[in-house]
Amino acid sequence: MNTNLITIGKIVAPHGVRGDVRVIALTDFPERFQTMKQVLLDNGQKLDISGVKYHKQDVLMKFRGLDDRNAVEALKGKLLQVTKEELVDLPEGHYYTFDIIGLAVYDEDGQPLGTITDVITTGSNDVYVAEVAGKTPVLIPALKDVVKNIDLPNKRMTVKLQEEWE
Amino acid sequence: MSRSIKKGPYVHESLLKKVEVMNSKNEKKVVKTWSRSSTILPGFVGHTIAVHDGRKHVPVYITEDMVGHKLGEFAPTRTYKGHGGTERSTSLR
Repeated sequence: MNTNLITIGKIVAPHGVRGDVRVIALTDFPERFQTMKQVLLDNGQKLDISGVKYHKQDVLMKFRGLDDRNAVEALKGKLLQVTKEELVDLPEGHYYTFDIIGLAVYDEDGQPLGTITDVITTGSNDVYVAEVAGKTPVLIPALKDVVKNIDLPNKRMTVKLQEEWE
Repeated sequence: MSRSIKKGPYVHESLLKKVEVMNSKNEKKVVKTWSRSSTILPGFVGHTIAVHDGRKHVPVYITEDMVGHKLGEFAPTRTYKGHGGTERSTSLR
């Protein structure tokens, strides 16, 4: 897998008989499809986008040169990807999940707590899972009171864990 | 069928007691609970409650708009590890 490529959607099925495909958006910015001219598939194929519509929670896309259902049938299950340079710019204080995963976590005294392996979405705050082999994972709530510093260039996160009720 | 209004919202007794003690002392500690069915009361706002998801305790920070919901709504019991490297973002609250 090319680590420079980021997935933004997945083609789940053809839609209708005119070559449209139904895409599940795997991005926080589903409106980005409307401004895109080209997209990469996970097999390296480059497709020109000729139309984008939104239908319920899905995106309906049409690609140039693929004008009937049989032509797009083979695209079912393929991932739509973009390069890191094409990602949407995030406001300050926001980070892409793939940047957070892999950061080394330290407490304020410089003691290592593990490496972030997962980000759990709870509906309230996100939760970062820091794991060390053979130990119970540490769950870190993504709160300003807890996460004191995120240093992406040095791949390091500093946290101050809250006291637990005994 | 909904719960009788006469009874009031359900909250696990020991959880309520711990939050009340913290509120009276004006301190913040993470309280672990297995009680996913407890209703979030206005007194919980600003506290972090670690809700059990069947495997681990997920720390959930309680905000005003969560009042009236159940704690279990914020600790998903199923995790989907499908598509890695997607354009999803995270931020600090």
